[in-house]
Amino acid sequence: MATVLRLTLSQLGGRWRLALILLLAALPIGLAALVSATLSEAESSNEEFVNTLLDTLLIAGILPIVMMVLATASFGNEVEDKTLSYLVLRPLRRSLIALPKLLAPIIVGGPVLVVSGVVATLLGGSSLGVVIVVLHGDGQAALAVGTAVLAGVVAYAAVFTWAGLMTTRALAFGLMYVFIWEGLITTFLGGVRYLSIRAYTLAILHGMDKTSFGSLEDRVIEFPAAVGGAIIVTVVFFLLTVRRLRRMDVP
Amino acid sequence: MTALVNGPLAKTDSAVIDVRAVSKWYGSVVAVNDVSLQVKSGITGLLGPNGAGKTTLLHMIAGLAGPSEGEVTVLGEPVRDNTPLYRHIGFMPEHESLYGILTGRGFVELAARLHGLEPLGPPVDRALALVGLTDVQHRATGTYSRGMRQRTRLAATLVHDPEVLLLDEPLSGTDPRQRIDVQGLMSRLAAEGRTILVSSHILEEIETLADNILLMVAGKLAAAGDFLAIRAKLDERPYQVKIVANETRAMAAALVGLVVVDSVSVDEEAEPPSLTVMTRKIGELQLSLPKLAKEREIRLYRVEPMDESLESVFSYLVDG
Repeated sequence: MATVLRLTLSQLGGRWRLALILLLAALPIGLAALVSATLSEAESSNEEFVNTLLDTLLIAGILPIVMMVLATASFGNEVEDKTLSYLVLRPLRRSLIALPKLLAPIIVGGPVLVVSGVVATLLGGSSLGVVIVVLHGDGQAALAVGTAVLAGVVAYAAVFTWAGLMTTRALAFGLMYVFIWEGLITTFLGGVRYLSIRAYTLAILHGMDKTSFGSLEDRVIEFPAAVGGAIIVTVVFFLLTVRRLRRMDVP
Repeated sequence: MTALVNGPLAKTDSAVIDVRAVSKWYGSVVAVNDVSLQVKSGITGLLGPNGAGKTTLLHMIAGLAGPSEGEVTVLGEPVRDNTPLYRHIGFMPEHESLYGILTGRGFVELAARLHGLEPLGPPVDRALALVGLTDVQHRATGTYSRGMRQRTRLAATLVHDPEVLLLDEPLSGTDPRQRIDVQGLMSRLAAEGRTILVSSHILEEIETLADNILLMVAGKLAAAGDFLAIRAKLDERPYQVKIVANETRAMAAALVGLVVVDSVSVDEEAEPPSLTVMTRKIGELQLSLPKLAKEREIRLYRVEPMDESLESVFSYLVDG
């Protein structure tokens, strides 16, 4: 398993891909710093910070896009250049190929996105009240952001790793999924939020720190449902990936 | 090139690869159509023109693709989704792709690691030496020539010393010297009791290598068996020869009188006018034609075979 993980990490470590990811992850930090430096508490609010920067920019935008870029390439490169046969023609259980392929995008994308969310929260909150919670509470807001983003990272990684194995047009599939399903349908249709990774992420954020992220109260699903949903999505798509590896015609 | 570490395998007359009534289709396209065959130890050539279904068949034998119908077993076991069987099978795919981030040695080591070989060094050294890549093993595969990439993939196929080798166009891209080396290696591996199924679309590559031939055309198994018998059948096929001469009609009349000529057709509309000769004895026609032209004082401008392609050869075999 370690061999496949090392190989996949070096495949994902391409310069342009890392540059794009770092650039995207720096956006929330830069914007939060700008907000912190230019606006006073009277001009903005905790609600705006949470809705605009954490939800719309990071959780609904940068998080799925970064994970899409990484996880679709996890198998996608090998499907495209026909090198997948070098892995599957070995006496390895398919789960021992699928697991490192899932872990690699999490290892590359997870820390970058978690740091982005936590630092943005600390910077953006300095004029908006969140940092007060961080300093005077027990770091609960930062912990909530970090945990929620990590849950999103893992769930998106499972979905997009599977997509990279299913189709050579995984990026197109990913963009449609992110913008149409996660961005539109689950935002406006309350019932299907239970099938949304974005909704799981927001609900975990809110569930872990209701004080700092109370403005999400009206539009989040229950905390246990979010945790369970994220786990189910991850496990189901991992098993679908293993099943696909066993049944597909390898090019 | 060095010898294998393991000793000779017991040579067996039973089928190592057994393909039973296998078909494979993609939508409405039939890639392999009701093929049954058995492969025993030694070298068996899988011959056929491009698009004949050789690669699809090899993929099914390797378990990379599942048959739409029928069954494939290797060493008596179903091969599809039977990962432990890969300890005994080495498959070299046709495509040239390698992990560009790895060196030649790194690529062979990757295969060794995935096979769980321990220690890693000796089998990797042996495989690289077998294909003559020891000197360039530390170079990135991105800097390799086509032939070197081909041999790198062959080394990775051999690293776990498999009993069954499935090689899809292994000589493609190799220069004449490398070709002789690889052919010699395959012969040695076969002599040690291994079963080697090697595909090619070039008759001469297979001719010098394989004891037995499987001929595929348009997804079907057109012929199977001893190479010489199939070769004889190929030699008996009718040939078409196009001739351009200064006196087309006179040449046609002269050719009709030859015993070796089956038929002659004249195309006076063509530019320049030409005639097409059908013969089953191409060698005799080649000898007779200049003499005939000289006797009749006819000048020959062009004499060319019209259907020397493998496709026509195989089509003939399939059509009977």
